[in-house]
Amino acid sequence: MKKVKKVFGLLTATVLIGALVGCGGSNSGSSSPSASASGSASASAPASAEKLKKITIFQSKVEIAQPLEDLAKKYTQETGNQVEVWGSAGDAYLTQLQAKLTSNQGPSIFSIGPGPEAAKFKSYFYDLSNEPYVKNIAPNMDLKEDGKTVGVPYGVEGYGLVYNKSLVDPKNVTDLASFTKTLQDLKAKGKNGLSLSQEAYFLIGHIINTPFALQPDPQAFIDKLNKGEVKMADTKEFQEFGKFIDAIKANTINPMQVKYDSQMGDFATGKTAMVHQGNWSYGMFKDYGKLGFDVGMMPFPLAGNNKLAVGVASNWVINGKADPDEIKAASAFLNWLFTSDTGKNAIVNDFKFIPAMTNIEAANLDPLSKTVYDAAKSGQTIPWATNYFPQGIIINDLTPVAQEYFLKKDMTGQQFLQKLDAAWAKASK
Amino acid sequence: MKRKDKGWFALFTVPLLFIFTTVVIIPFIIGIVYSFYKWDGIPANPKIFVGFNNFVQIFQDDRFIASAWNTVKFTVFALIAVNLLGLVFSLIVTTKLRVSNAARTMFFMPNLIGGLILGYIWQFIFTDAFNFIGDKTGLHSIFFNWLLDPQYALYAMVIVFTWQMAGYTMIIYIAGIQGVPDDLIEAAKVDGANLWHRLTRIIFPLLMPSFTICLFLTLSGAFKIFDVNLSLTKGGPSNATEMFAMNIYNEIFGYGHYGLGQAKAIIFFLVVAIITLTQVIITKKREVQM
Amino acid sequence: MKQIGKYVSEILLVVLAVAFLSPVYIMVVNSFKNRAELYQSALALPSSLSFQYYAQAMDKMNFLTAFRNSLFVTVVSVLFIVILSSMTAWMLVRTNNRLSQIIFMTLVATMLIPFQTLMMPLMQVMDFIRTNFHIPMLNTHGGLIYMNVGFNASMAVFLYHGFMKSVPIALEEAATLDGCSKFGVFWRIVFPLLKTITVTIAILDVIALWNDYLLPSLTLADKGLRTIPLSTFYFFGEFTIVWNLAMAGLTLTVIPVVIFYVFSQKYIIKGIAAGAVK
Repeated sequence: MKKVKKVFGLLTATVLIGALVGCGGSNSGSSSPSASASGSASASAPASAEKLKKITIFQSKVEIAQPLEDLAKKYTQETGNQVEVWGSAGDAYLTQLQAKLTSNQGPSIFSIGPGPEAAKFKSYFYDLSNEPYVKNIAPNMDLKEDGKTVGVPYGVEGYGLVYNKSLVDPKNVTDLASFTKTLQDLKAKGKNGLSLSQEAYFLIGHIINTPFALQPDPQAFIDKLNKGEVKMADTKEFQEFGKFIDAIKANTINPMQVKYDSQMGDFATGKTAMVHQGNWSYGMFKDYGKLGFDVGMMPFPLAGNNKLAVGVASNWVINGKADPDEIKAASAFLNWLFTSDTGKNAIVNDFKFIPAMTNIEAANLDPLSKTVYDAAKSGQTIPWATNYFPQGIIINDLTPVAQEYFLKKDMTGQQFLQKLDAAWAKASK
Repeated sequence: MKRKDKGWFALFTVPLLFIFTTVVIIPFIIGIVYSFYKWDGIPANPKIFVGFNNFVQIFQDDRFIASAWNTVKFTVFALIAVNLLGLVFSLIVTTKLRVSNAARTMFFMPNLIGGLILGYIWQFIFTDAFNFIGDKTGLHSIFFNWLLDPQYALYAMVIVFTWQMAGYTMIIYIAGIQGVPDDLIEAAKVDGANLWHRLTRIIFPLLMPSFTICLFLTLSGAFKIFDVNLSLTKGGPSNATEMFAMNIYNEIFGYGHYGLGQAKAIIFFLVVAIITLTQVIITKKREVQM
Repeated sequence: MKQIGKYVSEILLVVLAVAFLSPVYIMVVNSFKNRAELYQSALALPSSLSFQYYAQAMDKMNFLTAFRNSLFVTVVSVLFIVILSSMTAWMLVRTNNRLSQIIFMTLVATMLIPFQTLMMPLMQVMDFIRTNFHIPMLNTHGGLIYMNVGFNASMAVFLYHGFMKSVPIALEEAATLDGCSKFGVFWRIVFPLLKTITVTIAILDVIALWNDYLLPSLTLADKGLRTIPLSTFYFFGEFTIVWNLAMAGLTLTVIPVVIFYVFSQKYIIKGIAAGAVK
């Protein structure tokens, strides 16, 4: 019995102490450097003028996670300051960000999309207006809240009709009639003329931007839509959008059968002539070897539109609720990222962004990014009106309607618009 | 209770209950408080007290009612399928066949694959494999992309959930079956009881604790289903498979209606708790102490 | 005749089990294909059996560190869950009064709360503990283990509670008469008799915790602390998944638990025979 007593006493003690105090092997807060690479790097780093506080970065774009970690190591080598890059899967980013901010865990720097997303988190934004690097942001590309510059853009992105140059001539895709005829001709040749895909943004989110962006004042139009003062079904550009989408439904493979992966696979293997996609999709061709044709991007020709939709998907912001030393260190990192050669080089060559800064030259752009870059430079663009949509509406409200439209054989474009109006009215209540 | 017994009671239960309270109970109570506020979930943003307004709103929310109904349908199908299959599996693999052990591992394997990615794998099956089989056999009325049909998409979720949970309940049923003393069964055999009688008169009554547990675990798992919902159907097509947990998640994180989402959670919790606790109490009464 | 029947049922069982495992086939074959090959067919066998994607996945996931972290968090959590839950369940069953019933029902009822509705308040509570008691609950393995115990306690208590009935009270009473204290009775007599259900709970919890993504993703941030599921985030973009690395990563995640399960299920069978009280 004695032995048991001892064991039990020990157990209770472990339980209580262990459970309350936290167990061995745990890091005591974010101040201690992580076990791996960064620790050794700091030892060999040259002593900088002033040792800054360790910062943490949390961002949504999984594709740059690895390059960003590598860059953080280089930053430590060059300046001796520590940067910890946190990981996050794309979909869950905002939820995780909210959890981390709610529990005051940081991060020092995080990424945020424009529009309602930024508005929701704006109480955390540190005012960057006086920081040196924001002067280099290309005109109208900075993230502003209440008149202050609070975010630096990742870069610009653009979308439109990505097409196979050996199958499609842009001259034949300029209005509804020629667009429909091109789809019919391709169908007769056994090709799929245009492919959307089942993911929310690729099914409806991007393509519906065009009729919004073509309004004289998209933001005002969306406000009116929220108040129920206008209807999509009564607006000229949307009515034509209904006809476009009917032409797509009648002449191409049902996008509900297509995933982003197969959409780009069909395009890469020449089965699909056009996809409504953005410059980011070029990365999907990597494993297909030589494509055997040239790829281009042209505007979605709704209501005579001849411009690509170009915008900023994400911005770097600094957490204003962090302590002043941490904010200072965070700003120093952003300054380094956007002004040092190492940082600028990483943005262009490793992140593969189209820079939205006047002091960074684009280089080695793929054909799609080149088209977007040129459009952005010349100003021949339409905005991402979707940025002004109520929070979550594309995924939660518009996509279910679009799914219904594409799955119900007899639903027309006009009925589609009416249902979109109804869904919008409900969501913006 | 004697004073000394009280001390023992506390010593045995308090450590766990303390942890449990800080991790589950207190957050749940905080959630209840928030259900009376209009708030987007960001600490610095304004919280407006709205009384029972959120609760009133719920009953005007067709989509929430629809998702609750989806969840009920799903749970009923899943409850039957999972437990039937789990019980059958457990009975098969406890027989003295040479392949029993291997089969047991294989039946349990699906459970080892966690959450989200499971849905992605099954997407390949319902899209690629089903189309492939449909093309080869010509049975297009059965083998088509189930995920695009509002009705079949729900069945697809039931299949995936069953596939994952059957092995789970199987091992609990096995634990129960192995608690049945061999001599009891041998005695019954000697008395000439056939397989059906041995099952219904001896094994099933002694399996009551396992039934209680399995029914409840399946029930709570099915009511709370989220991962598979998100990765397999994302609630589509046209919200036909949006389950309750996903609806709440969308309300809280998609729209940023934190208070409303919490109110939904509480309503649903109350309804489900009443149903399932009744079930637990009923089946618990039928258990026998050895 | 009987012999043939046995063969037939054995073959049927194997066929059933293999069919049941077909989704695992999808997982494995696609860990060997690149995007172009996957696009051609998700079902076909890969053109070559090169383990390059496994090597890449391991490298990106920082597999050894992640494995160590997962192992530590899982083992310690399960140990605490088993010890604390079995003690609690035993007391609740043997002390038949209102309080025990209320505690038990509360534990059970909370299993119906979707985690998604608890996570934000949970973060606030943990932050409160951290700021007021200076105990690092977030971004530490200890904090994660603490929360794991809290979230998995109710199911373990529920399972133990159900199986406590198979422990004969007479034995406990005899031991008490022999002068055993309560914990003497519990650890000497009761706990050994709960071997089967303990192993079952351990298996279920090991799997659940090993694969858990959501809770660790909220509490662990630093790279050096990441568990295996957290480390696979590199492969999951917003719109597309790097399938080969994701599937390879998943296979790597699953293998340790398969091994664990195969060993422990042998133990369940033996445990039954050995656990019988003389």
